[in-house]
Amino acid sequence: MMRRDRKAQGLVPVPEWVGDAWTIAAPLGLLYLVTAVASGVSSSARVDLGYMLVNLVIVVGLSIFVSNSGVLSFGHLAFVAIGAWTMSLLTIPVNMKDSIMPELLPVLRDASLPPLVAVLVAAVVGGVVALLAGAALMRLHGLEAGIATFALLMLVVQVLTYSTALGPRSGQSMVGIPQSLDLQSMLVIALLMVVVAWFYSRSRSARLLRASRDDITAAPASGIHVTKHRIIAFAISGAVAAVGGALWAQTNRVVQASQFNLDFTFTTIAMLVIGGMFSLWGAVVGVIVVSVLNHVLGLLESGLQLGGVIVSLPSGSRLIIVGLVLIVVLILRPGGLTGGREARWPLRPKLALGLSRNS
Amino acid sequence: MTSFLQALIDATSAGAVYALAALGIGLVFGVLRLANFAYGEIITASAYTLIIVWPINPVLAVLGAAVVGVAVALLMNYAVFSWLRSQSAATLLIASFGLSILLQRIYEGIFGANVLSASVASGLSTSVNLGGVRLNLLSVVTIVLAAVLLVGVQLFLTRTSIGLQVQAASADFRIARLLGVRSGLVIAVTFAISGFIAAAVAFVLTVQSGTVGPSFGVQPTLFGLIGAVIGGLRNLRGAVVGGFVVGVALSLLTSWLPPEINPFRTAFVYLLVIAVLVLRPNGLFSAGAGKVRT
Repeated sequence: MMRRDRKAQGLVPVPEWVGDAWTIAAPLGLLYLVTAVASGVSSSARVDLGYMLVNLVIVVGLSIFVSNSGVLSFGHLAFVAIGAWTMSLLTIPVNMKDSIMPELLPVLRDASLPPLVAVLVAAVVGGVVALLAGAALMRLHGLEAGIATFALLMLVVQVLTYSTALGPRSGQSMVGIPQSLDLQSMLVIALLMVVVAWFYSRSRSARLLRASRDDITAAPASGIHVTKHRIIAFAISGAVAAVGGALWAQTNRVVQASQFNLDFTFTTIAMLVIGGMFSLWGAVVGVIVVSVLNHVLGLLESGLQLGGVIVSLPSGSRLIIVGLVLIVVLILRPGGLTGGREARWPLRPKLALGLSRNS
Repeated sequence: MTSFLQALIDATSAGAVYALAALGIGLVFGVLRLANFAYGEIITASAYTLIIVWPINPVLAVLGAAVVGVAVALLMNYAVFSWLRSQSAATLLIASFGLSILLQRIYEGIFGANVLSASVASGLSTSVNLGGVRLNLLSVVTIVLAAVLLVGVQLFLTRTSIGLQVQAASADFRIARLLGVRSGLVIAVTFAISGFIAAAVAFVLTVQSGTVGPSFGVQPTLFGLIGAVIGGLRNLRGAVVGGFVVGVALSLLTSWLPPEINPFRTAFVYLLVIAVLVLRPNGLFSAGAGKVRT
């Protein structure tokens, strides 16, 4: 209807589908561009690039739930941990599992799958756990939802730390994960996850969920089953986060439950919030901005030569600066760098935009 | 029977610590809708003061810890949260989370990643034998300290003009402002009191452990915050009782769970938290019916 109005006014120089396609083309293009540039810079940039792609998948997973439901989750690392665990248990060679995890369940001990299949299994396991957890938790709102999802993370971390049937003894880590996916295939998976998030955000379920995000009183009154659509979003986002966990396991290659801690949670949430937590574009921009910042700060921490002067920052200043950026963004631009919007076709005339809003 | 009594006293004292943390968090939440995750870093600042100054002069250390706690809390208010007053509760929580991580790294930069140790008030770590019951002096002191602070805050809220203004602001911030409540002052006073309570928590915890590290305050804040939420953050008494329940549950699970599943005690507490939130989404002690908030 909107389209017809604007056409009648003769103000739209490009068809609507261009603007639509741009919302997916922009994040994919930017991600591809950054990867292409960064992989040519230096070997340390390539290492950080690997982690950036991992974080991108995790944050896109997080944003599938947060951006559409408007409910904050502090617990998505639970699914990341589950994904990392699944990947490790399925790809570490059997004899190695025997020596580091002698009390492992026989099923897990003998299981061994090719890496790409293991990533798929991780997605399924993460999705199923998220579906079950979501069924219990998705009636909660606001702060209670935040605390409940956080409790879920702590529960998963505690079980993975102490259960010798599922992993190594507490304090020990899983090693020997083969690095089987190169940057190229990680990029393909990351792009694929962005596409998944985009298609989901255009589904009926996601639109209804966003209606509930924008008005929690009116949406149920219009017959929207908010809890059901939240559970769907939670399950999909858990599956994508678990894919991120699987990629993380084979990038980091040492996996321990204690790694899924507050610092990691903070990093992912900071990326999402700095970019703008209500859009996919925001998630992608946030991950890229924070990752680039992290990389530069990392260079500074190890001492960088700038025109004859060695500039160096004390170690640990990365998180301080990311924390500062987060707080400044929240104060000056609470919607994040993208203002919570999807990517907009840059050649759109300002006039048409203003009028179409009024019509 | 006697071991039961001892476990009960230890549990009460553990509960008292988390009840205090929940009180400090709940007070600020009432006026500002801020669930202050960075509360732990106020505790940590006071704990560093205690550990560093105690060997020099115990009295100075206690006074210093209180002053530092209040000062850090006020600094947080003016440097960060006063800029975010109009934002949603979720935004405030994220900001405080960022502040918490940031301050932990700053402590690490100043004092190093390793723990500092000193025996603070070692006289309190002794036990007295009272009719067959071993009484840990610190447990008793903790319970008394918590009781005094709870009564103090209660008197302050009900008997002083500024306390009544705090209550009014908690009930309805906008209306309270219209009626002439000085919002800036009320918020500052609330932060100061929560900082003072954080110093008390730091005192108990440093006597217990004798060490402090950059993430010293995270654990008590986490459990205090969780307790406050399951008790019902919108109701200060509920929050305090919630914190108390979490502390008691943790302590009892530690002493009663059989050794083979004892490592999972924290997992049980988190499971309990999820169960309570699912069954009573507005908190255990909330009076109102399910009001939808996002």
